[in-house]
Amino acid sequence: MTSTAFEQVRGIASDLFAVPSQEITADSSPETIKTWDSIQHLSLVLALEEKFQIQLSPDEIEQMTSIGAIARLLESKLANTPK
Amino acid sequence: MPIVIEPYRKEHEPAVEAFNQRLQAGGEAIIFFRQAEQQYLAKVEGSNPYQVQFVALEDGTVRGGYALKRQSFSFADGTVRSIGYYHHCLSEGVINQAYARVGSMLLLHAMRQEQMLFCLGMGGYGRPLPNMLIRLGWSHCLIPFYMRVLRPYRFLKQMERLRTSSMRRIAMDVGAISGAGWTGLKALQGGQRFRAPRVAPFSVEQFEEFSDWIDHLWESARGNYGMAAVRDAKTLRILYPANFPHLTRLKVMRDGAPVGWAVVAERRKNPRWGNLRVGTVVDCWAAPGDEVTVIRAATEALEQRSLDVIVSNQSHQAWCTALEHSGFLKTSSNFVFAGSKKLAELLQPFDQQKSRMHLVRGDGDGLPWAY
Repeated sequence: MTSTAFEQVRGIASDLFAVPSQEITADSSPETIKTWDSIQHLSLVLALEEKFQIQLSPDEIEQMTSIGAIARLLESKLANTPK
Repeated sequence: MPIVIEPYRKEHEPAVEAFNQRLQAGGEAIIFFRQAEQQYLAKVEGSNPYQVQFVALEDGTVRGGYALKRQSFSFADGTVRSIGYYHHCLSEGVINQAYARVGSMLLLHAMRQEQMLFCLGMGGYGRPLPNMLIRLGWSHCLIPFYMRVLRPYRFLKQMERLRTSSMRRIAMDVGAISGAGWTGLKALQGGQRFRAPRVAPFSVEQFEEFSDWIDHLWESARGNYGMAAVRDAKTLRILYPANFPHLTRLKVMRDGAPVGWAVVAERRKNPRWGNLRVGTVVDCWAAPGDEVTVIRAATEALEQRSLDVIVSNQSHQAWCTALEHSGFLKTSSNFVFAGSKKLAELLQPFDQQKSRMHLVRGDGDGLPWAY
């Protein structure tokens, strides 16, 4: 996982979940961030899709279990997206 | 097991039945469509509006579902666009927390089908769906609700929606028995009507099927609305088909020329209304300035049916004023409009545009089973 992808996801998550950026780590998840519920998960999906101009499949959405997992998913998705 | 969302097909019906039974056992009043193939708003070649249904499946078990009605709407900029009405979304999450994510999965799926989405009705802000939509940044407002009480005694004795505490029940019973309620309601409603400008004489004809005279009215007035479902004859024949005998279609005329139309009906019995007979202005349209004429015509038609109360939801200021000028009282509403961010881009500034939208009962939750 590159620091760029992680930082971008962290920035979006910080805004959405109203949690200071420095408190969000790669291990941050719905279990550790109180405001990360199913609706905010949907908000996160929509925000990522808008920011990176991608579409996440239901399987990919299920894989978004932590900030680190999301950053890795994005990296792989963006790497496979035709330029 | 992963949850997948698929178009609702006949083979899903037994699983939908089981899903409905679980919802009902959990205390939910609303259930999902028992049949996959719906006659009303069926999708056939070239039809608009039409409706499609989807179910959320977990290894063959239905965990949720929703309906998406596709319909053309006219907007303030003069464009006509097909948008989606997201409704009947039901999730196992309301009775089993393990499926809390199903609601957002259904909505996301609908947003993939159509970015310009709206919801209308939803049972009020206290329900989970409007809360979810607000948190997602959808624009929203309450659509005003009006009622005109025709039989105050029965209304006060049976209006379960208002008889929510023992104090209220006692007060309403006293008002009913003493006649004070009758006097008060009649005075309020009469006062509204007394203050209204005079309405020029009009005539009313009942008709079975919408025909071409409708189109001129649609074109002459659509520019007055920031957002309105297309109400030409072709669309209205699909929305309010001639084979719906419980709907009454009224043509309102002055000097022999049509100035508007209304669809009125009596609501089916609903526990919230007790044993009251409730009439509704389901839909309406008028040449600019004739909104009050149409509401008067609709009211008079319903008044002839021994109803207890007439109700209407209207969003556009002209129609709200028409109801007030026809002796309707504005009361608390649970009819919520919420529009997705993409749709809201066409409704800016929303605080001003919301009273220029034409949204009525017929646009939202309820048809055809509520009448």
